[in-house]
Amino acid sequence: MSRLVLKFENSSLKEVPLGTRPVTIGRAPDNDIQIDNLAVSNYHARVYSEAGSLVVEDLNSLNGSFLNDIRVERAMLKDGDNILIGKHEIFVDQAHDAVLPEDGLRKAPAPRVNETMVLDTEERRKLFDMAAAAGERSQLSSKRSRIPTLTVLYGRTDQKEYRISGKLIVIGHSKMATVRLRGWFLPAVAAQINKHEDGYYLGRGDRVPTLNGVSINGLTKLNDGDVIDVSGVRLTFLYRD
Amino acid sequence: MRPLLHIEAGARTDLGRVRKNNEDCYSIDTSLQLYVLSDGMGGEAHGEVASKLAVQTILTHCRQSENSRATPIFGESSPDVSERTNRLASAIHLANRKVFETASANDEQKGMGATIVAAWIEAQRLSIAHVGDSRAYLLRAGTMDQMTADHSLVAEKVRVGILTPQEADASEMQSVLTRAVGTSSTVEVDTDEQVLLAGDFVLLCTDGLTRMVTDPEIASMLLTSTSAQEAAERLVDLANDNGGVDNVSVIVLRIAEKSESLFQRLKIWKRHSG
Repeated sequence: MSRLVLKFENSSLKEVPLGTRPVTIGRAPDNDIQIDNLAVSNYHARVYSEAGSLVVEDLNSLNGSFLNDIRVERAMLKDGDNILIGKHEIFVDQAHDAVLPEDGLRKAPAPRVNETMVLDTEERRKLFDMAAAAGERSQLSSKRSRIPTLTVLYGRTDQKEYRISGKLIVIGHSKMATVRLRGWFLPAVAAQINKHEDGYYLGRGDRVPTLNGVSINGLTKLNDGDVIDVSGVRLTFLYRD
Repeated sequence: MRPLLHIEAGARTDLGRVRKNNEDCYSIDTSLQLYVLSDGMGGEAHGEVASKLAVQTILTHCRQSENSRATPIFGESSPDVSERTNRLASAIHLANRKVFETASANDEQKGMGATIVAAWIEAQRLSIAHVGDSRAYLLRAGTMDQMTADHSLVAEKVRVGILTPQEADASEMQSVLTRAVGTSSTVEVDTDEQVLLAGDFVLLCTDGLTRMVTDPEIASMLLTSTSAQEAAERLVDLANDNGGVDNVSVIVLRIAEKSESLFQRLKIWKRHSG
């Protein structure tokens, strides 16, 4: 006879025989296996037999059901499996089961739980439609047509104003610098600006720039009108039409 | 006067504590300064096939482009990034084609695919390209930033604001990707660039690390290890200690000022002055 054994910290608390009726697991008292623990949902999971196989199904519980340490929504069970619910374990014992055709069971493909998969095109399209709708709501589209610029307020640079394009904008003496600093003993990379999905971010180089008078601490998002000071140069970041 | 950086690399891939085979794969070419990491998928042993093929294709394509500027570009080039970064994206487009063609030619391998995160360093500039949910992090002056945006269903939902990060962490849909290499005939590749500074750490990793280990834990491992290899070992050990539910792979790059002795400088000077 197949059975489920409820265990807590390696001691068996209860045994429930497996029949044709599903076995329910949860905190509510009318479950077949009741677990009185706040981490367990009222109706947490159930175990039942389907087409000759034993299946565990999570009932949308808050903290999830784990099969051999992998979180599962629904998975096939085999002899020796452990279902973890909260801190309680439920051991699957099919060892004494002479009725089930063992060979047939073993030949079935092993359940692949939590396997990585890729969305098909239809589902992706739905997601992007949602994304587009959300984008319109936040009115990002109106900002996109405006061109980000850096204007030099003072200091020696190769230009007075820069239209920003590209993902990486370097301020410094280096050849790859967009904003090239002029003079002696200047750092190759004084600071850098990175383009992210939601805007431009100022980061340090060999110097730590200040933004509106305050030294930055890690990547800091640039807003319209911000003033950047680095290596004796002052720049302002502006979105222009 | 070009600033010289010394790049120390460490890497490790591990089965983890639950999986039966390792579908992750990485490769490092220190002469090219090219670092590639991949997480395969597709069941049975096909995930391994996909990740290995993708990684090898990327290395071959980049090496070839170094030898011959006539090497064709695959996929569309972006005006937003450098030629070098576009080349890295091109390599991923080619890898996508190879994996897709291989999978299409073999019924058993249908649907196999892989994630990719790749880093290529030229002088002081770091090029990053990725597809899927393998990540690149930059740890600079005590702050760790994720340079890549996961191409996963939950991450995309968080970005458009229909899911909170907390809901994403608890979601059972974490394994659902919105992009992968090799699952369709074309793929969109994301790219990014950074200027590297002495003291930086760059980390490439598969989700086997980031699902088991928090960002602050990762940062502390990087900062307290005495070498890049030690950091890589300790990160994988920590992922396994925390459960190791998936294969886990990391590449750690430690960026330092290149210190050349006066004697070495003289040798270089002598060689150049013939």
